[in-house]
Formats: sequence, structure tokens, C-alpha cells
Amino acid sequence: MRLARTLFLLLIASAASAATTTIPPIAFKYRVLPNGLEVYSVQDRSTPTVAIHVWYRVGSKHDPQGRSGFAHLFEHIMFKSTKNMPAEMMDRLTEDVGGFNNATTFDDSTAYYEVVPSNYLETLLWAEAERLGSLTVDDANFKSERDVVKEEFRFRILAPPYGKLFYAIDKNSFVAHPYKRPGIGSIEELDAATIDDVKAFHATFYRPDNAILLVAGDFEQQQLDGWVDKYFTPIAKPSTEIPNVNVEEPARKEEKRVDEYSANVPLPALAMTWLTPSARHEDAVPLFIASTVLADGESSRLQEKLVRGEIAQEVFSDANLREDLGLFAVVAIMGSEKKPADAEKLIRAELASMAEKPVSAAELEKAKNLILTSALRERETSNGKAFSLGEALILQHDAAFVNAGLAKVQAVTAADVQRVVKKYLIEGKPLVINYLDESAKGGAQ
Amino acid sequence: MKRLLLSIALALPLVAQQVAPPPPAAPREVKLPQPAEKTLANGLRVIVVPKHDIPLVAARLLVKTGAAADPADRDGLAELTATVLTQGTKTKSAEQIARGVEALGATLSADAGWDFTSIDLSVMSSNLSSAMTYVADVARNATFAKTEFERERAQAIDALQVELTEPRPLAGVVMSRLIFGDAPYGHNLTGLPASLAKITREDLVKFHAAHYRPDNAVLVLAGDIKADDAFALAQSAFGGWKSSSRRGAESTSSSKTRRLDDLKPRVVVIDMPESGQSAVVVGRAGIRRADAAYMNAMVANSVLGAGYSSRLNQEIRIKRGLSYGAGSSFEPRVDVGPFTARTETKHESAAEVAGLLVGELNRLSQSDVPEAELTPRKAALIGGFAQSLETTSGIVNRVSSLALYGLPLSDINRYISGVQAVTADDVRKFAASNLGGKDVNVVVIGDAKQFAEPLRAQFGEVEVIAAEELDLASPTLRVRKAKN
Repeated sequence: MRLARTLFLLLIASAASAATTTIPPIAFKYRVLPNGLEVYSVQDRSTPTVAIHVWYRVGSKHDPQGRSGFAHLFEHIMFKSTKNMPAEMMDRLTEDVGGFNNATTFDDSTAYYEVVPSNYLETLLWAEAERLGSLTVDDANFKSERDVVKEEFRFRILAPPYGKLFYAIDKNSFVAHPYKRPGIGSIEELDAATIDDVKAFHATFYRPDNAILLVAGDFEQQQLDGWVDKYFTPIAKPSTEIPNVNVEEPARKEEKRVDEYSANVPLPALAMTWLTPSARHEDAVPLFIASTVLADGESSRLQEKLVRGEIAQEVFSDANLREDLGLFAVVAIMGSEKKPADAEKLIRAELASMAEKPVSAAELEKAKNLILTSALRERETSNGKAFSLGEALILQHDAAFVNAGLAKVQAVTAADVQRVVKKYLIEGKPLVINYLDESAKGGAQ
Repeated sequence: MKRLLLSIALALPLVAQQVAPPPPAAPREVKLPQPAEKTLANGLRVIVVPKHDIPLVAARLLVKTGAAADPADRDGLAELTATVLTQGTKTKSAEQIARGVEALGATLSADAGWDFTSIDLSVMSSNLSSAMTYVADVARNATFAKTEFERERAQAIDALQVELTEPRPLAGVVMSRLIFGDAPYGHNLTGLPASLAKITREDLVKFHAAHYRPDNAVLVLAGDIKADDAFALAQSAFGGWKSSSRRGAESTSSSKTRRLDDLKPRVVVIDMPESGQSAVVVGRAGIRRADAAYMNAMVANSVLGAGYSSRLNQEIRIKRGLSYGAGSSFEPRVDVGPFTARTETKHESAAEVAGLLVGELNRLSQSDVPEAELTPRKAALIGGFAQSLETTSGIVNRVSSLALYGLPLSDINRYISGVQAVTADDVRKFAASNLGGKDVNVVVIGDAKQFAEPLRAQFGEVEVIAAEELDLASPTLRVRKAKN
């Protein structure tokens, strides 16, 4: 789940990767500072704006014990005061001069980013170094922002009719790995968090050797390098270890079925998930294509069978590739008078057919073209390019994947898709969630 | 390419005891797109904005009629017509269209707004001409087959069931009724289950024939294409498109008499005890897009409720932690569109945030915005404008909006100076006549027992309507025979 600081989030298409011969490659430069900070830059002087990103290798999976939701709460706190910046000064340096800022907490990482007129580049490098170096939030600011996050919880989970369905997916899909804890947390565990937790979290994870600086857009290389040296080099690298998540999620031995109930569910829904390997595994790209074939676009298999077939109101599929292991998910909101079981039957039949018979050349080509065009859209802006790089670094441990991922998408064969569907979605055991209105409790659905 | 200086004033706060951030360098110029245009013999206006850095094109066929033209008992007709438009033509089935478009990696969608319907295409430039044949085919030759119509209508009714159980979207629909009553902008754009049930396939065919015509449309393209190539492509795809003889009603919304002033402002609570959060909206009639005060409205709203650091978000989220976000907007249309300010909060805070929303409208209309606040809010507006021009779809949005409202395309070159010319005095005067005062409607949807009393204490008369007694088709909002 992606959680952002604000509603005014610039949504980036979630591409596992992508690029092709017709896509201009992202030409990036790389260097690493003595304190371990990795620095990537992509020059594009076509518009006088620049995107500055800092990605930290800490995400919801690093939430401390009994503090689910903490990494995300912490992300909000990073906009409060530092030694030389009062609370919300990041807004003064971005929004007030015609730019914007935001931040997103992922399962595996947290990204902070700004887009500003390029004459403010040095100012923002200073500001990002400032909050990497120190955080001096007071208790009043902490509590007020914690209330904001509790409202975000209500906004995302409690108010929308299907919020609790999405909340239930990770919780029920994993048994051991911390991916099982919802990134948004819970009201109780958010309430348990203290300002001491904030200090400890910053000291543990917010350090130059656990961060990636990405600058894309309008800058002069030598000047950028000089500013990066000036503001980031003085930040010391702590001698302590960076804690790592090393939990093996056991393979599912059998299917699991869960019924979830909520008030005001106008139409029942179904979610099915399967465990898949890490984004770096060779099967990840074929799984991404399988997901596209299944439900991306009106002519995809499940859109035709379920939506055009008037079983479901809406259906989508997500390969959801993550750093440690992935979670392939198919979700359907039923049409009126239809039951989740109706959708489940058709989804299983479609997966069986994909495992039995390779997708046609035309269908494979279509999926690749859709992925390609969506990658092009992401690369229209410097901010999008920085996002592609950040994602490649976190999920693939390799920035070059922004360009090489293309070749991988293009190289996927129908046999690859068939093989991964069979291996993970047929031989793998699904979790099935039926999501129903409270009134259906105890009754037959 | 013409260049304008994007001069953004320095607006860094003074931080005396601390190390100050390094100041900005001299700003660079913003490049503004230069549209080229041509009108085909059949009346279709074609506008092109070349931009060659990424091999991508966004295109929109804009039909200058939308949901404001929905007949009185056919709410949702414009949107349903747009939805079924892509579901089959004289020569292609719905499946053939979807497969053909997606094989090109393209996305094609059609949607109605209040004053327009748009058919949008996004495609890599090498596949543009093939993809454009689908846009032309659905615009010109849609057949609205009965089975496709019935399926889309059933799904639209299901979608409404979902939408209207969530406080936030429901609050918007209720607010439209309060502001516009039974005038054209008063209904839900996508209709209601009962109005959709009344719509027939023939209604769609008639709506399409009357309004989808070259002399009522504009084709806008932005991206990796040369102007001359775009004109040639437009000619080959749309040159043979003829306007049917029957002309649709001209500017439907403004031709109807609007008596918005006669509507009494109301404070309405919809009681949904099991909802997870309350939605709070305040609103009133706003301005027309062609209004001379448009720039004043944009700047006033930037101060009040657009962006993270606007007053509403400052007061409600940043200072008090009462919401994930609060904001406001004008939706200037052919006729007077709505102004709304909105937020969501836990039920027990709903009355408090309603008071904060109304209080900020009044503050803006009573005292001048200090320069130290006005300058950054103008910069934020200008920055948002510049960012919107960085993508092909953003350019298409900006340009088609000017075309729709009959404004000169050169306005794109005047936006920045227009924002900069607005003074604190302009903002206060505009707010005094358009935002403050007693004409504001309030809608709160959530668990009424937690906020109805404090709401009454602030606003006096409050109508509490149980969710099951709500009738969105009626300006009274109540099903007949409802108990009070």
C-alpha cells in the first residue's frame, strides 16, 4: 500500500519496470559519498524545473513491534522541525515558490520528494540534508500530526465502502513476514507511539548510508556535485548496524478462506492473493505481464469475462512486486445479485486456461505495448523519471533496471507467462477473502 | 518559441536564530506551448501543440455539450451516452474496438462533464494515426446497441449504489442540489438509479445525433507530432464527418432561466450512523468561466483552499490535526458553477470543522490578505500552471478548456501576468461579494447524534435527514411523506 503525506499526491503508474527501443533511455550519473549516500542524477533542461528525491531504505516492514503504522507516521513527522527549519518550512521552500512536495511510505522504502523551479535546487538540497541530519520535533507537533494520521486511517480504511477489504488483504496474506502488518497501522498502535519512538527511528534508519539522493531535471552537473558535497558530506555515518528484515515467509500449504464484514457494503467483493517471489526473481517480469493480460484494459481477459460478462462491477489485478516477496492479487467488486463465488469460479477458470495454453502472440504484444506506453507517460516529467529510478533501486537493487527492464519485458515469451501462471497461481495456494455486508453475517452468501 | 519570464518572488521566512537556507539563484524562463489551429470545412476546429521530447501524443475530441443538457427527467444521459459510445460502431463490435485500441498500447475513454463531453486518447506517437481512426469511428458511427446500452446502464446503477453510500461523494451530490435546486447543474452528473432506469436507448441515439457533430466539436492534440501532420490526420479522420441537419439546443444551460438567488441557504445533515468518518462541505454559487473576475477567483481560492499551505488546510489539518486534508475550489462553467470547501473528520469534530470552513470564508472577505501570504499563494498557482504544461495530457486539458469556453488560445500566455496582477484589495472585494456572508449552504454527512446539536448551536436551523429518507432527485431532498 502506498501512503502519502497528503491527498495532493501525484500518482505514478506502478510499473514493475519498462522501457523499450523506442523509449529514450534514462541517462543517469551515479556517485557515492564517503558517508555512504548514493547519489543519482538525470539531466533534462527542457523545462526550468527540477525534482529532488530522497529515498530511505526503510518502509512499513520496519515498523517496530507493537507500532504498526509507525514508518508512515514518521514520514509525516519529517515535515516538522529540524535544527534549522521550523515545522512546515519544507512547504515554504516548495509550494510557496511554485513547486510542491510530498512523501510516500511503501512496504520497503520511504520516498520524500520535491519539484521546484530549478533556481531553488541548492535550497532544497540544503533542506533535505537538514532533515537527514536532525529532527527536533516537539510533543505538540507530534501529537497533532498523529491525529492527522488517524484521520487518514478513517479516510482510507473506515469511510470508503471497500477500505476494510484492502486493509484485510496484507493482514491475511502473510503469516510470518512483517508485510502482514498494515502500513497505515491501527488507531490503538498509533496512539501507543511516543516522541521517543520518533527519535529512535530517526537514529536507526535515517542515515546517509541508508539513503539515496536522486536529482532529475534542470541543473548543471558540476554545480550539483558541488552542492551535494557541501551539504551532504558533513553528515556522519553512524557506526551502528542497520537492522534488516530477515523473515522467511513460509510457502502456503493449503488454501485459506476468510470472510470479512463491514457496514455499508453495497455490493459484495472478492479478493484472491498468491505469494510470489521477490521483484528481483526472474519470474517477476513474466508475472507482471500475466497481471496485465488478466485485467489491464477493457479487452483483458477478466474485464471481458467478469465485467462485460456482467458478473462484476469492477475487477483488477496487481502483480504487487516487493523487495522480499511479492503478492499477486485479483480483486473483484460484484455486480448486483452476484456472489463472490461467481467471480471466483471464473477467475480460477481463466487462470487454468492460461496455465494450460500459452497466450497468443497478439495478446502478449498488446500487454507489452500497454506497459510500454504507461512507462512513457511516467517519463514525461523529471519527477516521473526520478520515481522510476527510485523504484528500480529499491525493488531491483539496480538503477540500470530502468533501462534494462525494457529488454526484459520485450524478451518475455508466451511460454514464460504460461509457466509462471502455472507455478504460482495454479500450483500456489490462494487466500480467498469474501467481503460482505454486516447483514450477511451468519447467513448464507 | 515564445518565452515568458516566470518571475517568482522570494518568499523565504526569516529564521533569526538558525542557519538560513541558501537563497535561490536567478530564475529561468518558462516555455509556454504555442498552439497552432485550423478549422476544417465541416466546422471542426483542430488545435495542435507540438512537443517532441517523448514519443507520446494525447488527443481529445471535445464535444461542447455535456450533462447540463440532460433533459429534466433523464439525469445522467450525457454521461451514459459517452459511456456507451465506445461500445460498438457500424463496423466494429465493442470487443473489436477495445482489442484494437489496446493492441496499440493506447487508452481510449469517453466521459461527460457539465458543459462538454470528451473522448480522450493517449498513445505512443508511432501508433497515433491508427488509434485516431477509433476516435473518429466512435464519435461518428456509434450504434448504441441495445445489449451494450442495457449492460452499461446496469453497471452505472451499481456504481451509483457504491458512490452514494460513502459520505464524501454523497456530500458533493447533496451540495449541488442545495446550490442549484432543480436548475441544470443541480442533479448528479452520472444520474441516479431511478433516472437511469427511465433512460432508453433512443434517448442516447437522439443525444448523440443532436450534439456530436463537427460544428459543435474541437479536436486538440499535444505531443510528438508536427502541426501540419496533425491537420492532415484530422482531415483524413474527420474530414468526411457531416453535421446532421437537426441542431442541438445551443448552450442549453444558459438558455434556461436560472433563479439561484431565490434558493434559501440551508444547513443539511444526512444521518449515516455507521459511516467511518463525517464529510463536511460548505458551498454556494460561484462564477462563470468567462467572468471578468476569473483570475481574482483563482487567487482567492489559492489563498483559501488550493494546495497544502492554503488557509483551510492550515487551520484544520496543520494547526488542529482535525483532518487528513481540507480544501476548496471554484468550478467556473458556461453558466455560474459552484464554489465548495470540503473536508472529512471524525464525527465528533464535524461541527467544529464546519464552523472553521465558514469562518475562513468570512475572514477572507473581511480583511486583506497580507502580501507575505499573497505572494507565495500566487507563486503556488503559477507553479501549478507551469507543471500542468509538462505533460501532453496537461496541455490538452488547458487548451481544450480555453477552446470550450470560447477564450482566445493566447490566454495561455497571459495566465502568469494575470495572476500577478491580482491585488489583496481585489481578493477581499471578490471574497466579500462571492464567498462571505450568510448565503452559504452547509452539508454534513455522518453520525448525526455526534454533531447535530453543536451544529444547531452555530447555525440555527439544521435539517436532519435520515439516509433512507433522502431523495436526491428532489430539491427538498426528502422522499415524499417523510416524517420530520
